[in-house]
Amino acid sequence: MQSTSRIEVWEIARSLRYDGRVIHLRVPGTLRYRDLAVRVVGAACKMVGTPDESTGPIRNTEWDNEVVSAFGEAFNNAAIHSYDGRKPGDVEVEVETGIAAITIRLIDYGNSFSLDDVPVPDLEALPESGLGLYIIRSFMDEVKYVPGSPNVLSMTKYLDPARRPVRQPSDRFSDSGGGDSRQ
Amino acid sequence: MNFTREDNGDVTVLRISGSLDALSTPELRPTIDALVAEKRPTITVDLSDLRLIDSSGVGAIVSLYKRMRALGAKVEVVGLKDQPLAIFRLLRLDRIFTV
Repeated sequence: MQSTSRIEVWEIARSLRYDGRVIHLRVPGTLRYRDLAVRVVGAACKMVGTPDESTGPIRNTEWDNEVVSAFGEAFNNAAIHSYDGRKPGDVEVEVETGIAAITIRLIDYGNSFSLDDVPVPDLEALPESGLGLYIIRSFMDEVKYVPGSPNVLSMTKYLDPARRPVRQPSDRFSDSGGGDSRQ
Repeated sequence: MNFTREDNGDVTVLRISGSLDALSTPELRPTIDALVAEKRPTITVDLSDLRLIDSSGVGAIVSLYKRMRALGAKVEVVGLKDQPLAIFRLLRLDRIFTV
């Protein structure tokens, strides 16, 4: 990861809050703040799990890469689509780290969409767009979207997916609303 | 994101470093357009120093590949590792690029 400038450190410190369990970050919902938010999530990944394999599954770089990739796409969607055609608002990020999983909630106050309306891309056709939600769904174990004001996209990834709580299959990519055509 | 273009005979090497994402990808588009317009025969995209890529960055590279392929040119991607490699594998782009 690149070194963080003093200005970026100040921006992170100004935007961050930690209540002992969840990291809170609130930034303007524009792509200019994408890198900052991605760095926070990347750092949060390092707080997940245990350093001792005997007490639980351990993280690896590949796991971190998948979380960061998924979050980056989610932030893109919020910045590009949620505030499309309206005055840009804030994006709130809540990151909950535990010994077995990370849960990231991305909250915006813009346009809503429906996960079910986003088609699975045809990778054989070499698509140049429409890949964001596919990346999110592929790399995270649970993805849930609740439209409204605010819209809340919740994503969870387990260190060991086999140990995740048992849920109904329909819970995996669930949402309950409609809206724009998002990628 | 930084990038350099180097022409050696028929071969053009495009080196991209840093983060190729929704914010930075538009900076690369004019260079891609120029490579297509010039009908360069062989293009090597060197991603050895690329730290992060998102779907926008992938879209730009796939666009380059498809447009050059339509001209009969060759495009290869080298140096993929870490997060960019994970994305290319997920999107099954490793089947068309040498990675």
